[in-house]
Amino acid sequence: MNERERLLRRIAEVGFAMFELHLFLDTHPYDRAALQMFDSYQREEEALRLEFNSKYGPLNTMDVSQSNMWQWVKDPWPWDYSFEEGL
Amino acid sequence: MWSYDKRLQYPVKIKNPNAALAKLIITQYGGPDGEIGASLRYLSQRYSMPYEEVKAILNDIGTEELAHFEMVGAIVHQLTKNLTMEEIKNQGFSDYFVDHTIGVYPVAASGVPFSAAALASKGDAITDIHEDMAAEQKARTTYDNILRFADDPDVRDPIKFLRQREVVHYQRFGEALRIITDNLDSRNFYAFNPEFDNRKR
Repeated sequence: MNERERLLRRIAEVGFAMFELHLFLDTHPYDRAALQMFDSYQREEEALRLEFNSKYGPLNTMDVSQSNMWQWVKDPWPWDYSFEEGL
Repeated sequence: MWSYDKRLQYPVKIKNPNAALAKLIITQYGGPDGEIGASLRYLSQRYSMPYEEVKAILNDIGTEELAHFEMVGAIVHQLTKNLTMEEIKNQGFSDYFVDHTIGVYPVAASGVPFSAAALASKGDAITDIHEDMAAEQKARTTYDNILRFADDPDVRDPIKFLRQREVVHYQRFGEALRIITDNLDSRNFYAFNPEFDNRKR
């Protein structure tokens, strides 16, 4: 597993934990423990996302920024076998 | 409005092509209990839903289903992209191939194209949430059936993830049903349809 793949897996793990809590909070909007857990995952996810964007290009549509090249179009796309390695 | 993350919700990395398995798994792309049907069902039902927690859960599960639609598409793509003509002929893929080559198209395992006839948006809160709970169980059964055919761990792993999500969604919809009935007449849940009879103008 290379560095990009490790980072991407971590983003998927933290993003999944966040999303799972998000669905739980939809039907339990006043659950303080779940809100706190969501908050801590969210902070971790933000930091990981910033790291990914600076090293490997935009992860989200909204992360695209002006640079010397339009990186959004670059292979690999998520459905490519080599996506995680970034090859 | 949506915002796209250029990643899958759960990784799909399949080394070996398998046309026969792709033809079964594609049913969760465009079949009667597939992911695009699930997404359309929940995203369509949310408009007339009167309770905010239930609007949220329909919106957010409907969104997650789009990520699952993408994962199933990735599984089918990776199972078919390196097929040889020999494998296409020997693994029963010729009929799909003649219409779509190795493009990914929303069909059921039986070859029937995606149809909105397999989903409902009834405009009644209790009715729609029961439809949704049943839909999650039907998708869970389909994934269990797919697992009967799949030996490749590269395929089983993301399929098991998708199967587990059906169980979680079923749980959340069960809670949504409770939220709905808490808002209704406790002596007769069917006394009125909260999506039509209680509209504020």
